[in-house]
Formats: sequence, C-alpha cells, structure tokens
Amino acid sequence: MQSSEEAAASSPAKTEQAYQPGSEADFERLYRNTYRRILGTLITLVRDRTTAEDCAQETFERAYKNWKSWQPDAPVEAWLHRIAINVAISDRRHQRIRQAGELVRRLGRPAPGADPSLVAERSDLVAALKKLPPKQAAALVLRHYHGYSNREIAAALGVPEQTVASRLGAARKQLQAVLGRP
Amino acid sequence: MSDFERELESELHRVLDPMSSLPIPPRRAAHPRASARTLLGGAGAALTFKILTGVAAAAAAVTVVGAATTGSLDPTVWGQQVEEQVQTCKNDLAQGEHGIGQCVSSFANQHGQAVASSARHHGDGSSKSKDNNGNTNNGNGNNGGGASGNANGHPKDRSTRSPGPPASRGS
Repeated sequence: MQSSEEAAASSPAKTEQAYQPGSEADFERLYRNTYRRILGTLITLVRDRTTAEDCAQETFERAYKNWKSWQPDAPVEAWLHRIAINVAISDRRHQRIRQAGELVRRLGRPAPGADPSLVAERSDLVAALKKLPPKQAAALVLRHYHGYSNREIAAALGVPEQTVASRLGAARKQLQAVLGRP
Repeated sequence: MSDFERELESELHRVLDPMSSLPIPPRRAAHPRASARTLLGGAGAALTFKILTGVAAAAAAVTVVGAATTGSLDPTVWGQQVEEQVQTCKNDLAQGEHGIGQCVSSFANQHGQAVASSARHHGDGSSKSKDNNGNTNNGNGNNGGGASGNANGHPKDRSTRSPGPPASRGS
C-alpha cells in the first residue's frame, strides 16, 4: 500500500510543472511525463499491450488536436485520462469485430518472451478489470494505482464528484464478484 | 481501507509498476493526410478521376479541332487566322451590306471534313457545334455568334432567318 507521502509524490497534479496550452515543447514534455501512466491505465481497460499502446497513441493524437483549447485550470493528466478512457471505450466497441481476425493472426506465432506488460496481461486482477465497464475499471485504477482524489477522478471520467464514490463502490463490488471473492 | 482494497492496490502495483521500465516510443504524429485521403480515396477518388478525365478530354478536343481547322497546334495561330479571315470578310462586304457569316463559314468549311472527322472521334453531332464555336470565339469575340452559326452547318437557315417571320421557317 502506498503511504500518503508516496501517493502525494506520485500524484501527477502535484508534481508536474505548468503546461502552456498550444506549446509544442510542453506537449512533448507532457507526453514523456504521462505516457507510461496512461499506458498503465489502458492496459487494464483493453485486451492486450499492443492495443493499449495503440490506444495510448490515439489518446495523445486526440489530445494534441485539442491542446490549444485545453484549460490549465483542469488537471492535465485527468484530461488525458478522460480521453484515454473514451478511446478505450471505443476500442471495446470494436473489439468483438476484431476478435475473429486477431485469432487467425495469432495462430502459429512463437511463444512470447519475457515482457513486463505480459505480467499485466496474465494477471487475474487485470483480466477481471477488463470485464468491468470501462469507467468503473478506470475509476479503480485511477484511485488505487495512480492515487487520484475523487475530484481528479471526477474530472477524468467527466462525472460529478458525488458520482465517483458510488461508482467506486459499485466497481469494487463487481470486481469482487468477478474474482469470486466474498 | 478494507483488505480487498489493500490487496487491489498491491496487485495493481505488482502488475503495473514494471511498465515504468518500458521505453517511451516516439509520439505518433497526427494524420495531416486526412484531406488528401478524402480527395484521393473512396467516392472522392472517383469524382476526382472523372473531373480530371473530363478536363483532359475537353483539352484534347479543343486542341485536335483547332489544329484540324487551322493546320497548327498553336491556339495563337488559330486566333490570328480566324481574325484575319473575319477582317477580310468585312472588307469584302459591299457598302451597306450586313452579315459576314457566310464568308467566315466558307473559311471554316475549308476544313469541314477534318472537323467532322475529329468531332466523330469525340462524340456525337452536338460536339461539332461546340468545337466550331470554340474556334470562332478564339478568332473574334465580337463576331463569334454569326461565325459559329454558319460553322454549325446551317448557312441557309442563317440567310433566311432574319427577314422572315418564325412561321416562314416551316414552309
């Protein structure tokens, strides 16, 4: 479990320098500072690392298009997560269509080597998170991995702050059910 | 915090922390080719292809007809020749006499066979009218109407149309 100091240190809103909307250099810095965290969230939402990487790039593409209009009063990483969650939701919608083709594509491939992201892919917890509605799974990851406050989660999910607590409760309950925990 | 929440955090860190060692790939650039794709792909491609084909065919038709009429590939030469002919026809008119259409028509008809042949290659009879109009207009914009009328192959109608009433055309 993270201590409160660790959580504060890892909280992006507290450590990041100010970003200037529209600044090319700042967006590149934002990309470098947040790519791994966005990817980490996406890995729990979409089916595999390749898809998560693709969704992460899609997230930053969308963010870049709207970078000039980003409001600095909103936490930038929450904004990015909001885009990422929407990208993941879109991806899930198309997932079933792609599944058949993906199965054919993977047939005959050699066994994958050691890869940090494969640990995530093989985790029962991550597998269970992927069965949750994307916004519920994202709320759990933002809260219990990234250490976001309810307010930041509300900004990331685009819902009122009051909704976050109830959504987190429902997400925990559903995750326990999926994992077969009492 | 419940036991389940602690376990959840611990497990998330176990599986996601190794991600921090992964290299950050270069950022994928946004797609600036979206407009080009719209133009060159799908229905846009078909429309673009048709427009380009039409423009090319029209340019080829004008070039072939002009060259066949004047014997030159240079549109400037076409214009000069027709302009000279129109001026000659004006000079040949007697005092008080109107209409140079017949005169210009005879010039255009010198190459009538060539014009008709090229027009047949580019479509039906209506294209012949367009081709002749194009040639005449290149030569003299002021007299384009009269010259084109004759060049359309209706010199008799032209000579009888102006004095007679519309009903006399049918007789």
